Amino acid sequence: MCFVGKEMAMGTARVVFDRWSDRYADRLSGVRSSAVRDLFAAASRPDMISFSGGMPEVSRVPATDVATAAHDAMLHEGACALQYGSSNGRPETRALIVELMAESGVRLSADDLIVTAGAQQGLDLLAKTFINPGDVVIAEGPTYVGALQAFSAYQPDIRCIPLDSDGMRMDLLEAELKRLGPRGAKFIYTIPNFQNPGGVTMSAERRRRLLELSREYDIPVVEDDPYGRLRFEGGHVKPLRALDDDVIYLGTFSKIFAPGLRLGWMAAPRPILAKVLLVKQAADLCGSNFAQVTAERYFMGARWRRTLQTLTKTYAERRDAMLAALDEHFPAEARWTRPEGGFFVWVELPSFVDTGALLAEAVEHGVTFVPGDGFFPDGSGKNCMRLAFCYAEPERIGEGIRRLAEVIEDRLELYRAFIAAGAIEAPEEGAA
Amino acid sequence: MSHKIAVLMGGRSLEREVSLASGKRVCDALAAAGYYVLALDVTADLVATLRSERPDAAYIALHGKYGEDGTIQELLEFLGIPYTGPGVVSSALSWDKSVTKHLLAENGIDTPAWLTLTADAFKEMGAATALDLVAERVGGYPVAVKPSRQGSALGLCRVEAPEALAEAMLDALGYDTSVVVERWVEGTELAVSVLGDGGCTDVLPPVEIAPKSGLYDFSARYAEGETDFFVPARVPEATLERVADVACRTHELLRCRDVSRVDMIVDANGRPWVLECNTSPGMTETSLLPMAAEAAGMSFQDVVSRVIEDALARR
Repeated sequence: MCFVGKEMAMGTARVVFDRWSDRYADRLSGVRSSAVRDLFAAASRPDMISFSGGMPEVSRVPATDVATAAHDAMLHEGACALQYGSSNGRPETRALIVELMAESGVRLSADDLIVTAGAQQGLDLLAKTFINPGDVVIAEGPTYVGALQAFSAYQPDIRCIPLDSDGMRMDLLEAELKRLGPRGAKFIYTIPNFQNPGGVTMSAERRRRLLELSREYDIPVVEDDPYGRLRFEGGHVKPLRALDDDVIYLGTFSKIFAPGLRLGWMAAPRPILAKVLLVKQAADLCGSNFAQVTAERYFMGARWRRTLQTLTKTYAERRDAMLAALDEHFPAEARWTRPEGGFFVWVELPSFVDTGALLAEAVEHGVTFVPGDGFFPDGSGKNCMRLAFCYAEPERIGEGIRRLAEVIEDRLELYRAFIAAGAIEAPEEGAA
Repeated sequence: MSHKIAVLMGGRSLEREVSLASGKRVCDALAAAGYYVLALDVTADLVATLRSERPDAAYIALHGKYGEDGTIQELLEFLGIPYTGPGVVSSALSWDKSVTKHLLAENGIDTPAWLTLTADAFKEMGAATALDLVAERVGGYPVAVKPSRQGSALGLCRVEAPEALAEAMLDALGYDTSVVVERWVEGTELAVSVLGDGGCTDVLPPVEIAPKSGLYDFSARYAEGETDFFVPARVPEATLERVADVACRTHELLRCRDVSRVDMIVDANGRPWVLECNTSPGMTETSLLPMAAEAAGMSFQDVVSRVIEDALARR
């Protein structure tokens, strides 16, 4: 036995992988993801049944339609498609968005909106425009992870308002606003339709109340509406922006066309839009003209409507498969939402369950989900999970839910043993 | 003619992504060293592929269950393909931290006091009613709680007081059906890589691990900047000798071969306490073994070539 190369070792060296690590801006310290969760969520095993990602079923978008759109775009407007464009987006694209918004009940002009690189860029631009370190931002709890990421980089104090089956709880929002006072927050962020991750939709009554509170406390509402047109049942509820011109609205082509184009938009009061545009110029000068011209062509005629119907029907079938499987297999202690559209079901397990500790076993059984705590800025929601039904075939959904139920049941048995022994606290009666 | 080497990676374990990263680096190094490399993700087609490709040897770049627990080793024995790392028995022993600790303790190698409980002991036999005995058994708090059979410190937790024990055990039981509770030894954490087997083992310079959070858990391992590493470790010369001796004895006791990484804590008195032995150490950009090799003046390619040549010699 000997040390290899011992004679070569000349003193101890600190091993450094990232020699710039001490030079990054402070604001990045708040932006961290859970390594374990990321790893499992991204589990790339081909046999995995994934309920993790909210990925649209782009295979239902006819490749020939997109090819034709891109072909025509190049043939007829090639010079423009390949060139820089205006920062607020092509007038033709904005006119298309105006039409799409009118179909949802929102009347605005092409000057009331800008084209963004997906709604996600809109979130980042808004955060950069509005948030100073320590500023309060109000969001739903749980809320969209991407919004938390976009906001966190600007170091806000995010206050979360719980949801129920009618969306954000207005009584709790009002209580928070009372504490904060007028202009006590920079904005109120909501996903009113088929919320990510909650799956619930804000009722018309609550929408009216939200806008009243927004006016009373002089705090703008940011309405993020990626799933609004993916309704499977029930009547259309008008967007907040249809009821109040001061609402900042984020829309996207990702779910009605495809996320690969990275096209979205933001409608906002013009003074705000002017500021956001300055910020956007610094970020990217302008969006992709090629994507915009292609989208304009894709939305000419009526074929896209049939495709959107097919997509919606596909998601509806998958939602049905997931709800049926949950009813059949999940334990009595579990509660879950019944979304009327969108991509997600939110499951709540008894308060003592940590879904993060379930994930490893689930992955071993070939099924993944996203643990609930990632959807809160403060790590609450540990006993919850988000299940995306948008991407797996119905039979696979049934099988995945069956496997997941087994894993949960096994865990519950273990928890019960600990509770019986008094080693952990039992939930209060009526809780869970 | 150059040897054909099947590099086995990925698979179904929780460390799949880490293994894919290790495997890719091993493939690149073997190819650069002139071997004919066959990169194989371990899926249901593995046996058919191995039978048609007939590699001269297999490089096991798998981590975790099935790759380190004897499963793949047994399969390769059956197929008659020589492979890197230890055989079936050694893999199975080393994979189980509880079994490893029993062997260490019985053979005079220091390992922190511990106890092991299985999920069935909780579910079927009421083990959760005896958690008050833990402090006495292991010599007081704080304690380390970890799954018995799992890699990359998944499910690892430091518990300061009895109130937090149950939750930590439940968390660890999310990663295995058996949980180890071990006395927390304060000191310097070292990873000591050993190459070779039998009478010709070489010990690489120990890597000192200084996680900024105090706990070298999964995120401290794989998120850059969360841990400081020092090579060789900042411990006195006399301690280094003891560390090398203990690493070597552990490697031999567990019948490791080609390569292993012995993880230990050196306490304030310079006494090494072995925590576990890894038979398929990580080979990623930020892994400990490649770090140690570099400090010894060996390139990554040198290590990989040496390991595969050892395996080829067993044909």
